[in-house]
Amino acid sequence: MSAATSHTYDRLAGPRERIRIDGIAKQALDTGRVRLIAVAAAFGLCFVVLGARLVDLTLLRAGEPIAVAPAVRVAPLARGDIVDRNGLLLATNLKTASLYAHPRKVLDPHASAAAIARVLPEIDLADLQTKLASDRGFVWIKRNLTPREQDAVNRLGLPGVGFMDEPRRIYPQGRLAAHVLGYTGVDNHGLSGIEKGFDETLMEGAGKPVQLSIDVRVQHALWEELQAAMVLHRAIGAAGVVMDVQSGELLAVVSLPDFDPNQINEATADQLFNRATLGVYEMGSTFKAFTVAAALEYRTADLDRVFDASEPIKVSRYTIKDDHAKNRWLSVPEIFMYSSNIGAAKMALEVGGTRQRDFLRRLGFLSKAPLEVPEVGQPMWPQPWRDINTMTVGFGHGIAVSPVQIAAAFSPLVNGGLMVSPTLRKRNPAVDPPAERVLSSETSEKLRRLMRLVVEKGTGSRGAANGWLVGGKTGTAEKAVNGVYKRNALLSSFVSSFPMTDPRYVVIAILDEPKGIKETHNFATGGWTAAPVTGRVIARIAPVLAVDPVNEKSDEVQRSMTVSARRGRN
Amino acid sequence: MAFIGTRNGELTFLQKVRNINWLLVLLLGLVATTGFFALYSVAGGKIDPWASRQMMRFALGATLMMAVAMVDIRALMRIAYPFYFVSLVLLAIVEFFGSIGMGAQRWLDLGIINLQPSELMRLALVLALARYFHSLSYEDIGRVRWIVIPVLMIVLPAGLVIIQPDLGTALLTMMTGAGILFLVGVRWWKFAVVAVVALAAMPLAWQRLHGYQKDRILTFLNPERDPLGAGYHILQSKIALGSGGLWGKGFLQGTQSHLNFLPEKQTDFVFTTLAEEFGMIGGVALLAVYIMILAYGFAIGVRSRSQFGRLVAFGVTITFFIYIFVNVAMVMGLVPIVGIPLPLVSYGGTAMVTILVGFGLVLSVSIHRDVPIPRRGPFDLF
Repeated sequence: MSAATSHTYDRLAGPRERIRIDGIAKQALDTGRVRLIAVAAAFGLCFVVLGARLVDLTLLRAGEPIAVAPAVRVAPLARGDIVDRNGLLLATNLKTASLYAHPRKVLDPHASAAAIARVLPEIDLADLQTKLASDRGFVWIKRNLTPREQDAVNRLGLPGVGFMDEPRRIYPQGRLAAHVLGYTGVDNHGLSGIEKGFDETLMEGAGKPVQLSIDVRVQHALWEELQAAMVLHRAIGAAGVVMDVQSGELLAVVSLPDFDPNQINEATADQLFNRATLGVYEMGSTFKAFTVAAALEYRTADLDRVFDASEPIKVSRYTIKDDHAKNRWLSVPEIFMYSSNIGAAKMALEVGGTRQRDFLRRLGFLSKAPLEVPEVGQPMWPQPWRDINTMTVGFGHGIAVSPVQIAAAFSPLVNGGLMVSPTLRKRNPAVDPPAERVLSSETSEKLRRLMRLVVEKGTGSRGAANGWLVGGKTGTAEKAVNGVYKRNALLSSFVSSFPMTDPRYVVIAILDEPKGIKETHNFATGGWTAAPVTGRVIARIAPVLAVDPVNEKSDEVQRSMTVSARRGRN
Repeated sequence: MAFIGTRNGELTFLQKVRNINWLLVLLLGLVATTGFFALYSVAGGKIDPWASRQMMRFALGATLMMAVAMVDIRALMRIAYPFYFVSLVLLAIVEFFGSIGMGAQRWLDLGIINLQPSELMRLALVLALARYFHSLSYEDIGRVRWIVIPVLMIVLPAGLVIIQPDLGTALLTMMTGAGILFLVGVRWWKFAVVAVVALAAMPLAWQRLHGYQKDRILTFLNPERDPLGAGYHILQSKIALGSGGLWGKGFLQGTQSHLNFLPEKQTDFVFTTLAEEFGMIGGVALLAVYIMILAYGFAIGVRSRSQFGRLVAFGVTITFFIYIFVNVAMVMGLVPIVGIPLPLVSYGGTAMVTILVGFGLVLSVSIHRDVPIPRRGPFDLF
């Protein structure tokens, strides 16, 4: 029989067999049918879903932008800029490419590493080989490549390596204000300075810039003059501050040696150290200004009071003596002008330890300066505060404060008696800054005259800037190294203000361990080293800051600066 | 006297050839040809490196398919269990001697060809389950103790595949097995119990997942989570699909694939390439051809006179369906990314051969649809 016949036969056989189905067999058949229909229906449904999705993606969503937020990581890039008080850019972001690798996709780790190390010579070859040969899914090779480096790596055509756009913090002014600005880490978070102090604001401020009180022009003048003086006197460091005595705004804050925040990896610990805000120093004679202010304020002495400075003071095993000893009785102006330790110690003793301490607290010396950067030094003062301490603090020893604190505390001495809180952010000129009266305006008036006297006739004569009626106070402190004062390791400073008829700014210059040179007759004191710096700085910045020049020789000015004090007896 | 022909129901070679379901073969060829064009396109309009090799593989696979189609269904039934055990042993061997490919041990290097035992197991499981249930009465299917063995037959290889690790293939193996259990009439409530247990075990399973597996699932839930990393594939795929529109950009005009935005464009994501170049119409057309093939698979199963043939046809069809569904749903972001190729289209030899040999089984079922096989097994006839 042919196959065709068998076929026909079987078709007939089919129904015939089905007739016999009943009971369990029928149930089995029904179940099988139901199940098959269920599966077929499920498959059908799946295809309906697939078809619907296909229509959805190809037609309905065609052209709809897909959230590809990716190529640039937007959030970190939006880290706000930092600008100076005039809107000049101090810190901003640059989009750079960072090189990474997927080690599992790298074909020949050793050859690839060698090729990369050839175009990026600063990369450690052995380290890179280990990285590329590892089993990790992702490794960084180098962050923030320059376009030239990126091009060079691209030309290698290596599989398994790629670039990711990453923002890099850029400081267009380089070293200028490096300590104030600070720097950021690879994750774009601030690690020091304003970058850290305002990290949250900068990260979440939707790209709004943070405006500082710093004036790049002033900052540059101070930086340049301090740098020159540091080189000239072979000092190990320098610090300087320019502060607006009315608003408390810091126009310039310099610490040397400094660093380039764009090359943060090359900075040493010494360079990173902020001498202007974090360093605390025994300032020496500049502190006599506060002693005189306290004596005048508490009326324990007036300008015509005289003190016996003919002999050194001996207190137990300490001896207090003068550097420029006159060996006679000195009036208050003379004590200030000639910077007599003996006179200042006696004056301080009359004020008394309690009142002295209270006075210094109000000037902000017994707490950290309220600054916006994290690098703020904790001042040190005597504990317990005995009479001998009262005397030494009277001429600036036994108490260590930061240069910024000195600038802040000098403001009330010259601005009419208001202690203004210092700040690194620009203040709204229409709003009065937070201030506290710590002195009467009479005391402030007298101190202006005394400070002018120092520049006109005393130790600060080299701090003069003709036309700007500079006043100030020198300071030369022996540095205490391991508890012993060293005669040849000095901290020389000059605190000045101008114009003394209506002081607008305080300018401080401090040189750390300056050496005497021929031009200064081997003197390394504040008057010889630091005072010229502030003088030159004032001459540069006063016109920029639109301060009116003063005819120093005019009768009116002479009269207002007269110190009605007699010479002390011999 | 049930069958008239050669002795014991043997068909002559000529009868077999005449009984081959040529339309099904044609449809399979049509899909494969679509694949050739897609691979030609993604290679930038070149036949090398993918299209040419894919054609050779198809030729090999089609030959194998025809050879398998000629095998007597009772012979298939006889080798069902041995084939299953060999596959199981190979799966175990790959655990210890398999070479590592893309971080997972899935391949067995046999010198000439790389064997992927998990692919063998797909067919072996279908055959073995069909063999098992062929002999089981409907009442027995309802009893738990008769279900233990088939469940073990499914879980054992799935477990070995999971260790490789290839979670996707393991899940698909289990789904194929579950599909067969469902079709033979295992009671509804048993599936419900398994589903409840699986749901309860999910937190535990989540902990055991590999990082990249978690990534895929999280990325599936929110592809924008990591658009440059784990979410890259699917976002680029969606962009490609969206740019295709109704009629597509035209053959060789797909930018996503040609400009290399699309990853794995010649393998798992080949559907995207097609949809980009031939648009929604092209995608739907391909799906339609697939549906026709599936319909044939089911029809052949329904038409088969033996339970064994019925289940083999259904099993292969289910496997084929799962391939299609998971792949297409994956590239369209409907399911998490699993490394499942688009059957007969994606570049790759193993899956192609598996599918074609599978359809060889289906063709054999079709040819021998009227060969009655007693419940006790194929040996009774001899």
